[in-house]
Amino acid sequence: MKSLKTIIAIAAGGVLLFNTTSTYAQQTTAADSALLDRVSALEQQVADTKPGEDHLMIAGLTTIGLVTGKSTNTVGGISTVSRTSTFGDADTYEFSPMFLWRHSDKFLMEFEPSFNNDGLSVNWADVSYFATPGLILRAGYMVIPFGIYNKRLAAGWIDKLATDPIGLDVPNSTDYGFEAMGGLPLGDMKWSYDVGVFNGMQLLPDGELQGTGITDNNINKTFSGRVGLLPFSNSSLEIGFSALSGKVGDEGSVYANAKANMYAFDLSTVQKISPFSVNIKAQYNIMNVDRENYVNPNDSTQNYTYNNHSTSAFGVISLRPSYLDSPLKNFEVAFRWADYITPANSAWGSNTSQVTEGLAYWISWRTVVKLTHETQNGNSTVNQFIAPTTGNTKTDYWFIQFSIQL
Amino acid sequence: MQTLTKRSILGMLITGIAILLFISISGCFTSKEVAAKSGAQLWAENCSRCHNTPSPDAFSAEQWKTVGMHMQTRAQLTDAERDKIVAFLSNK
Repeated sequence: MKSLKTIIAIAAGGVLLFNTTSTYAQQTTAADSALLDRVSALEQQVADTKPGEDHLMIAGLTTIGLVTGKSTNTVGGISTVSRTSTFGDADTYEFSPMFLWRHSDKFLMEFEPSFNNDGLSVNWADVSYFATPGLILRAGYMVIPFGIYNKRLAAGWIDKLATDPIGLDVPNSTDYGFEAMGGLPLGDMKWSYDVGVFNGMQLLPDGELQGTGITDNNINKTFSGRVGLLPFSNSSLEIGFSALSGKVGDEGSVYANAKANMYAFDLSTVQKISPFSVNIKAQYNIMNVDRENYVNPNDSTQNYTYNNHSTSAFGVISLRPSYLDSPLKNFEVAFRWADYITPANSAWGSNTSQVTEGLAYWISWRTVVKLTHETQNGNSTVNQFIAPTTGNTKTDYWFIQFSIQL
Repeated sequence: MQTLTKRSILGMLITGIAILLFISISGCFTSKEVAAKSGAQLWAENCSRCHNTPSPDAFSAEQWKTVGMHMQTRAQLTDAERDKIVAFLSNK
C-alpha cells in the first residue's frame, strides 16, 4: 500500500514536472520565433542598405620585371648594336588598380588608372547598364570591340608571355564611345555580339593612323563590332569576326573623306589532352586606308602615294600539365609567332616577324612569374625616293616578369 | 537600273531583317543539356577560356556579384551562365 502511494506520488510529480517543462518550452519557442522574426527583419534591412564597401571593390593588376637584350640594325652592310637592360620597360612595369562600383544589379562602373613607364594614364572609365538578359549597354572610355587580344588576353596575370604581339596597336585599343553587347544561347551553341560607335582614329599626313586619345579630329564616328560563335556546348572553341569602319581624316583637311576599313578574324580554344591543358589563341587583322596623296615626312613640299594596306597576325599555343598530381602542374610553356606588315613604298613600310617563347610558373591562379625570350626581325620596305631605308633590324630580348591580379 | 538598285536594297533589307529575326528567336533557345549545367561546370568551362579558374576564396559573395558583372562584359557570358557561376563561387 505504501509502495502504491509512493508510485502515485512519483507519477503525479512527473506529470506536474512535464506540464511545467512543456509550458516553459512553449514560451521559449514563442520567444525564439519572435526573435528570429526580428533577426530576419534586420537582415533584410541590412541587405537593403548594404554598406558601400560591398559595392565598391578594387581589382586590377601589378606587373614588375626586367628586360635585357640587344638590337642590331644593319643599313648598307653597316651594323649598329644597342643594348638594353631596364626594369621600367613597357612590358615589365605596370601598376593598374581597377575600381569596380556595382551601383545595383543594373549598373556597373569601371575605372582603371595605370602607372607605367609612360606616366599616369587611364586604361578605361565606363558605365555599363545591364538592360535585359542578353543586352548590356556601355558608354565612356573603353576597350573597343575588335578581335580578342586587347579585351580579354592582354592583362599580365592572364598572358602566359611577358610581351604583347606586334601589330595590335592599330586600331587603337581604347576610345570614347558607346556600345551594346551580349551573350546568348543558341541551342547547344552560344553566340555573342559587341558593337559600338567611337570617335575613331586620326590619319596622319604620312598615311599612318594613330589613336586620337582625348582629342577627336573630326565629326565623323567610327563603327566597330565583333560577332563570336561558340559552336560546342562546353564552350571549348570560339571563333570571331570583327569589322571597323570610319572616316579618319582631319576635319576640313584634304583627307577629310579618307576612310579606314579594318577586319579581324580570331580563334580561341582550350582542350584537355591529358595530362595537359592546351590553350590556343590566334588573331588576324587586315587594315585598309583609302589611297591618298600623302605628305613626304622628310619634305613636306612633296606628295607621294601608295597602297595603304597593312596586316598583322599572331598565334600562341601554351601547354600546362594541369591534370598531373605534382608540382609540375604549376608550370606552363608557351610559344607565339607574330607578324606585322605595314605598307610597302610608304615612309614607314616594313615586314616584321616576331617569335616568342616562355616558361611561366603559376604561384596561384592569378599570380605568375614568367621567363620569356623574344626575337624580332624587321625589314624595311620604305620608298627610298621618299625616305632613307631603315635597313634590317634584329632584336633579341629576355624578360623576367612577375604579375599579380590585385 | 534604278529599279534593280531599289530591289537590291529591298532584298538586302529583307535578308538583314530575316537574319536578325532568326538570331533573336534562336538566341532565346537553350538546349536541355546546356540548361542543366551546374555553376561548377560552367565555372570550369568558361573562366578557362581566357584565364585560370578562380578560387572561390578569392572574393566575398558580394564581390563575386560585382566580378560576375565585370566578367560578363569581357567574355560576353549569358545571363544564366553569370548567375550560376556567381552562385557557385559565393556558396563556398
